[in-house]
Amino acid sequence: MPPRIRSSQALLLNGCSSPLLSSFTPSHTVAAAAGAAQTTRQCPPSQHTQTSYFSTTAPLELTRLRRDFETWLRTQGKRYRDPTPGEPCRYLGNTKQFSPKGKVFPLNPEFISQPVLSESAREKIWRSVMVDAQPLKAVSAKYSVDMRRVAAVLRLKAIEKQWEQEGKQMALPYAKSVLEMVPVNHLTPERPHEPINDIHVHGYTMQQIFLPTSESREFTRADAAKAFGEHILPVDQKMRIPELLAFEKDLVKGEERRTAEENFYEATTKSERDIADRELIKSQLEEKRKLRVDTDRFEFRFEQISVDKAGRKGRSRSAVGWRYGVPYNDRRRGVVKIPTSVE
Amino acid sequence: MKLRRLSRFHGLKRPRVRQTWNKFNLYNLYRLREPSYIFHKTFFQQKWWAKAATRAYHGEHIKERKWELMFNRRLLSAVDMDPAYLAANDGSELASGRGSGLHQRVAELRMAEDGEGTTGRDGTKPARRPAAPCATPYMQMTYAPLERRLDQAIFRALFASSARQARQFCVHGAVKVNGVKMKYPGYLLNPGDMFQVDVDRVMTATGRRKPPANKTATPKKENTPKPAAEAADGAAESQEAVKDEAFEELDEAAAREAALKALERIKEHAKLIITSTRDDLSAKRKRAFRALIRDARSAHWHVRKSDSPLEGTDNTIEDLAAMLLQLELSPAEAKAKEKAEKEASEADVFGLSQDERKIFEQLVQADKENPIDPSKPYATPWKPRPYMPAFAFIPRYLEVNQKICSAVYLRHPVARQGLAEVPTPFPFWMNQLAFNWYLRRG
Repeated sequence: MPPRIRSSQALLLNGCSSPLLSSFTPSHTVAAAAGAAQTTRQCPPSQHTQTSYFSTTAPLELTRLRRDFETWLRTQGKRYRDPTPGEPCRYLGNTKQFSPKGKVFPLNPEFISQPVLSESAREKIWRSVMVDAQPLKAVSAKYSVDMRRVAAVLRLKAIEKQWEQEGKQMALPYAKSVLEMVPVNHLTPERPHEPINDIHVHGYTMQQIFLPTSESREFTRADAAKAFGEHILPVDQKMRIPELLAFEKDLVKGEERRTAEENFYEATTKSERDIADRELIKSQLEEKRKLRVDTDRFEFRFEQISVDKAGRKGRSRSAVGWRYGVPYNDRRRGVVKIPTSVE
Repeated sequence: MKLRRLSRFHGLKRPRVRQTWNKFNLYNLYRLREPSYIFHKTFFQQKWWAKAATRAYHGEHIKERKWELMFNRRLLSAVDMDPAYLAANDGSELASGRGSGLHQRVAELRMAEDGEGTTGRDGTKPARRPAAPCATPYMQMTYAPLERRLDQAIFRALFASSARQARQFCVHGAVKVNGVKMKYPGYLLNPGDMFQVDVDRVMTATGRRKPPANKTATPKKENTPKPAAEAADGAAESQEAVKDEAFEELDEAAAREAALKALERIKEHAKLIITSTRDDLSAKRKRAFRALIRDARSAHWHVRKSDSPLEGTDNTIEDLAAMLLQLELSPAEAKAKEKAEKEASEADVFGLSQDERKIFEQLVQADKENPIDPSKPYATPWKPRPYMPAFAFIPRYLEVNQKICSAVYLRHPVARQGLAEVPTPFPFWMNQLAFNWYLRRG
C-alpha cells in the first residue's frame, strides 16, 4: 500500500518542531490562516525555505450553509434575539399575514401561544378568595378562569407570600422578563381568560350509532347519552360548575338577573361549605377508628386492620404491612421504581 | 440511562428541529418546510420519515422503546359547552326535522348568539368565531403522553433552556414535586401536581452566560467614608484626617504621625466638652468621657512607641471617634438629630426634583431586585439569554409562578376545536404519519 499523502498544511510545517504542529489547527478563516503563516515564521530560519510564507491550498472559508446562517442571524434573525418591552409574541410564526398573534411555529397553525395570567390578575384572584372570601366557583365564573387554575394560583401565591415573609431570594428579573415575552391577560371583564365549561369527550361518544326512534318522540341529550352507553352521563350532569347551568335556567324561566346572580352566589357558597363539612366528617370518622395512647415519650396510634385485606395471594394493594413468605419485588430488575404519585 | 450521542445535534446540513432555545435550532425551525418530494415515496417511507423528524423534537432523549410503551392511540379532547345554550335547549332540536337536526335553524341560532356576544368565554372575540365548526386537530396530539413527563413539563414551563437540561435538573436533585425531591425525569405528573425548580438553576439556565473569570474587570476599590464620620463635627474632623491622610498611601512614619495627630484631636475635643459643659453633664456621662480620654491617651502612647506595630490603630481611632460622637449628644438629642438628618436627606437627595427623585427611586428598586452579584453562576444583572423570546410560550395545561420558579400541572393537554395544546412545530399531516407509524396498523 502506498503511503498516504499528507495534506499540504502538514507538509508546510514539516520543518517545525512538534509543539508548533500541535498549536496549529486547520482554520476556517483567512485571517486565521494568515496567523498560522506567522507561527511558521517563528521556526528557526536555517531549516526554512521560501515555501513556508505561502500555501498552495486555498484558505478554508465558511461553508455556504454556515454563511447563510450567519447572514440570517444578522438580518431577519436579529428580531428574535432580545425581548422588547411592550411587544410580546416574538415568534417565528407570528408574521403579518397570519391573523392570530400567538402562532409560534410557522407550520403549525393549530398551536397558539395563549395568554397567561399577569401578576395583577393573580393578585386579583388571590384577593377575591382570601380577603373577600368569595367561593372558588364564583371567582372562576366571574373572571372566566378554570377552577383548577384558580386553585393553583392560590397555592402558588401562598408559597410566594411565605417566601416574601421569609426574605427568600425570588427570581424577580426572570419573572418580569418572561411576562414581557409571553402574552398576558390582566383579567378585565371584556377579555375572558379561558373556557370554564369544558366537557371531556368520552371515547364512547365518538362513535356513530344508528338508533331508530319514533318521529313523535322528543329525543333529548339524556336519551343520546343512554344510547352511547348505560353509564354515559348527559352533558348537563358533567358541568364543572353546575350552578352556572342553574343560573342560566333561572334566566330562561324569566327570573331577574340580580336575583339569579344572588341565587348563584348562594348555591356556590353552599356547595363549598358542603365539601368542607364532608371533609370534616371524613377526618372525624378516621380519627374514631384510631386509638391514641400517649406515653411521655411517644404517641402510639392503633388502628383496626383486617387480615383478609391482603387477599388470597397476600399481594393486595390495600393490604398493610409485610407478610411472612411474601417477598417484595421492588428490588427486582426491570421493575419500574419511579413513583406514580407524590402526596 | 445512557443517552443518545449528540453529534450534529443542531446540524445545518441535515437539520433537525430540537427542544432547545439554541440559535441554530431557531434557524433550523425557520428553514423547516413541507417537502413535496416526500409524497412520491411509499407510504412506509413517508411514515418512517415523519416519525424520524417528529421524534427528533419530541423527547429525542427518551429511548424509542420507552416512548412506544407510552404511546396511546386514544387522544384527549374537550368541548366548551355553553350553559346558556344548554339551559335554553334540551337537545331535542338537533334530532328534529328529518332526524339530523334542522340545520338552518341551528345555524341561525349560532349566528344570533355570536351577534349578542353571550358566548366567547374561549378567549376569542365572538364576532370572529367561525359559523361552521372547524375540525379538532386530534393528530397534533400524537405526542401528548410525553408532555406529562416531569422533564418535559419543566422545559414547557420555561424553567430550562432545553429538554435535556430539564432532565439534568431532575437527576441533579434540583426539582421538587409537591415538596418532595424527585430525581426521576420520567415521573409522570398527575393533574394537580406542583413542581418547583431551584431558583438559581432556573436563572442560570435562562440567563446570559457569565464571562470567563479572567475577563471580568475587578471592581475598583472605593474609599467611602463611614456615615457616622460624615455627621460629626469635631470628632469627624479627626476621623477625616485619618482617612484623608490615608495610611495605605503614605509610608509608616507619616501614618504614625497622622494617627498621633488624630488621637490628639480626639483627646482635646473630649476635654473641651467636659470643661465647657461642666454643670450640664451627668455624672455617668462625665465618667464615660474620662474613660474615653484615658483610652485615647493609652492609644497615643502605643502609637508613639516607635517599635510597636501600627496594625489596628486606625480601627481604634475610628472607634474612639464614634464613641465621642455618641457621647457628645444626650440620647434624646441623638434621636432628634438622626430624625432631622433623615428628613433632610429625604427632602432632597442630591438636590433632585420630585420627578427625578421618583426615577431615582425606581432605579434603586431595580438595582435591588436585580443586583450585580459576582457570586452567582450567571451574568449579573440578570438578562434573558439571546433568542429566548422566539421560544417563550406557556401552554394552557400549566399554571406557572415565575417568581418562585414553581408550576402546577393542571390537567392533561387536550385538543379542542381548531386548537391542540401539544406544542409541536410540525404540520398536521406529519404528526398524522407519525401517529400511523406508532399505531402499527396502517
